[in-house]
Amino acid sequence: MRRLAARCLAIVGLACLAACSTSAQADGPPPIPASGSASIAADRSTFDRERLDVPADTAFQLLFENREGVLHNVAIVDPANGTTPFVGEIFGGPGWRMYQVPALPGGTYAFRCDVHLEMSGTLVAD
Amino acid sequence: MTAGLRSAEQPRAMDVAIRCAIIGAALATSLIHASLGGALFTMNAAGYAVLAVAMAAPGPFAAERWLVRLALLGFTAATIGGWLLFGARFELAYIDKVIEIVLIVLLIVELWRQDGGPSGIARRARHLARRPVASGSARA
Repeated sequence: MRRLAARCLAIVGLACLAACSTSAQADGPPPIPASGSASIAADRSTFDRERLDVPADTAFQLLFENREGVLHNVAIVDPANGTTPFVGEIFGGPGWRMYQVPALPGGTYAFRCDVHLEMSGTLVAD
Repeated sequence: MTAGLRSAEQPRAMDVAIRCAIIGAALATSLIHASLGGALFTMNAAGYAVLAVAMAAPGPFAAERWLVRLALLGFTAATIGGWLLFGARFELAYIDKVIEIVLIVLLIVELWRQDGGPSGIARRARHLARRPVASGSARA
């Protein structure tokens, strides 16, 4: 019976560890985005903006700041064909990542958090 | 018949082990979903937690444990289905799916041991369906 209880505790413990292992440590204050780059933040399972404007046909940096201890990322979706030209790393905050996004042809895209699909917005490459 | 008798007998070590593992797995996946934040994951976590408690609770829950078992089975299958359709693919999600698949296997094993498999469940369901009619006609 004791062994059983230990096994149950081990399962719950493993889950706790798994839940914590993907959380990034605070990486300090995010850098100031360079010109031609874009930035976005997530807090309380909401993005701080609904629209991102980026240059077309040019690779750019996307600064993503996750301000809470919940897993988030930014992925870019082409609604015309459902493909995802860019999927950013999922990580727990507080912390930030500087995503290197490949060049996107001019047009309107959607961006979203892959973990929380209700977190989304529009990205315009122009 | 054996399924009905079994519940009245002393629980065997294997039955206790399976039940503990089911509750542990349900609580583990509840914890993981709670850590993801957002309304949907929070509701999912609450669902797993309530069903885990119902799997352990004595009293009226014990008599209808087969229903709780079925509800947890359906809830877990729906969660996996939802993830396959819309879910993100990342490390924690894969760990959670492994726990949920283990949970489904354990629930099926317990369903066979405690309820006598699908035929036993069907018998219990027929009995349950007849019960309100019988009490209604008795009152009339």
